Amino acid sequence: MVTASPGVNALEIANVSVPGRLHAIDLRLRPGSLVGLIGPNGSGKSTLLQVAAGLLPAGKGSLSWQGRDFRGIGFAERGRMTAWVPQEARFDFGFTVRSVIGQGRYAHGDDGHGVEEALGRLDLRSLALRPVNQLSGGERHRVLIARALATEAPLQLWDEPLAALDVRHALEVLVLADELKRAGSTLLLSLHDLRLAHCLDSVAVLHQGRLRSFGPPADVLTPDLLREVFGVRARTAPGLFLELS
Amino acid sequence: MRPPWVVRSALPAALGLLVVATIIALGAGEMRLGPSRIIAGLLGRDDLAATILWKIRLPRVAVAVLVGAALGASGLVMQAYFRNSLASPGLLGVSSGGAAGAVVAIGAGWASSSILVIPAAAIMGAFIATGAVVVLARRGASTERLLLAGVALNAMLGGVTSYVLSNFTISYERNAQIMFWLLGGLEDRSWEHVAIASAVIPCAALLWPLGRPMDLLSLGAPEAQSLGIDVRRLRLSLIVLSTVMTALATAVAGTVGFVGLVIPHVLRLLVGPEHKRLVPLSLVGGAVFVLLCDLLGRAAGGLRLGVVTALVGGPYFLWLLRRQA
Repeated sequence: MVTASPGVNALEIANVSVPGRLHAIDLRLRPGSLVGLIGPNGSGKSTLLQVAAGLLPAGKGSLSWQGRDFRGIGFAERGRMTAWVPQEARFDFGFTVRSVIGQGRYAHGDDGHGVEEALGRLDLRSLALRPVNQLSGGERHRVLIARALATEAPLQLWDEPLAALDVRHALEVLVLADELKRAGSTLLLSLHDLRLAHCLDSVAVLHQGRLRSFGPPADVLTPDLLREVFGVRARTAPGLFLELS
Repeated sequence: MRPPWVVRSALPAALGLLVVATIIALGAGEMRLGPSRIIAGLLGRDDLAATILWKIRLPRVAVAVLVGAALGASGLVMQAYFRNSLASPGLLGVSSGGAAGAVVAIGAGWASSSILVIPAAAIMGAFIATGAVVVLARRGASTERLLLAGVALNAMLGGVTSYVLSNFTISYERNAQIMFWLLGGLEDRSWEHVAIASAVIPCAALLWPLGRPMDLLSLGAPEAQSLGIDVRRLRLSLIVLSTVMTALATAVAGTVGFVGLVIPHVLRLLVGPEHKRLVPLSLVGGAVFVLLCDLLGRAAGGLRLGVVTALVGGPYFLWLLRRQA
């Protein structure tokens, strides 16, 4: 795993606007951080992740990875520096699970490095030879996360990686994200389950295309903010707690 | 899953089939030639066989091989580009665009000035059609949208062709030439046609290394971009190559349908979706398919190539639609 030199932001988004979706967003992530991106439907989470991944133009703003301006980075190197997991896991052709994960090594000359580990990590070994277009929605998402893992990119941008997963696989992915962070990677993941946001280092709250708040979850997710942004009342009460056994 | 030996032996088997089909195509006809006489004829040791082979059958076989390779590969590329296994030059109207271009050139009387006029006009017509499909269908288009765009374009371009047929004062000879484009065929192909169609070879060479990136593109453009591909450049190369190859095939053989649909599909069933294998296989498989269809047409007493491929490919397409539904 490549680690960025300390002091340089792993991801820096400055003054990025996408007409109708994002307004003047500034976001800086330090290397080795695990950040949740939350906000109501249509608040711009997916758009922001795509801008961060360099898939949508940053408009008048700027995007840099590890202190380097995005525009100066070649295509193959972009593939080695950043991995993006789309929200929608759609496959039109019947590639096997293993070969889709192997695509994560394209920018590394298809060396196949780490593909088997990624298969095991996302609990996909028994499905390795199955065509991806015959998998369930949650299995497809695990394939996409495994492919992102195989890239060994230091910046990981995952768009709702947990939404389609069952509770055990979701918790395992969170553990994986935490391990990647400890190894020096930077992760930005969009989430809907605010209870999970408490496991993260910090959260960024998007509201109507603007960055409403950014900081540790305990500071950011106040009852006032939740009421204003999500229109819900927060209450702590005894409930069901699920942990990996 | 597919047994590995099928996957590994597919290309050698396809090449073997191509050789066998070529020998049969060279030998079959009003005057039958055995393998030894074919060799004697090709080497010029048998005057009659040499005349038949070099003047008639060899150019026809060469055109068939190049047209088949071009259409098979074009279909494969369009399917990856549009992320839809029902995309093909015929259904999307790209072949009709090429034919309409050629027909306009003939109708206007430009075709007699140079042998390059018809291919140039076909390429132009095909690009207009491709441009329209790209705008109408966008990437990752649903089957309905893609096929409806194709239906509309085919109808419009058919209208252009009918207009030329009905409104230009056309000699009998030009009319016959136009009918040739509409039906698709390999009759009376000369070395000039081989020369035009041989531009397919550099196109195939350019396409060859794009197999791997096509894998990634066929699962989505943003995904491919995030994995390290210059998607804009790849898509441009793919659409230009497939359009030019379709147009070249149309320029020398008229509209020959279903090759680009059937061949990549059958091959995908045999060896899986990896384009590194499918690119060479579609080139060879398309060539074999067109050669065999032409042989079938000749055996059936001179059925035109476009008619045979439609009779073979049409039912396959309907079966596919039924299976997808």
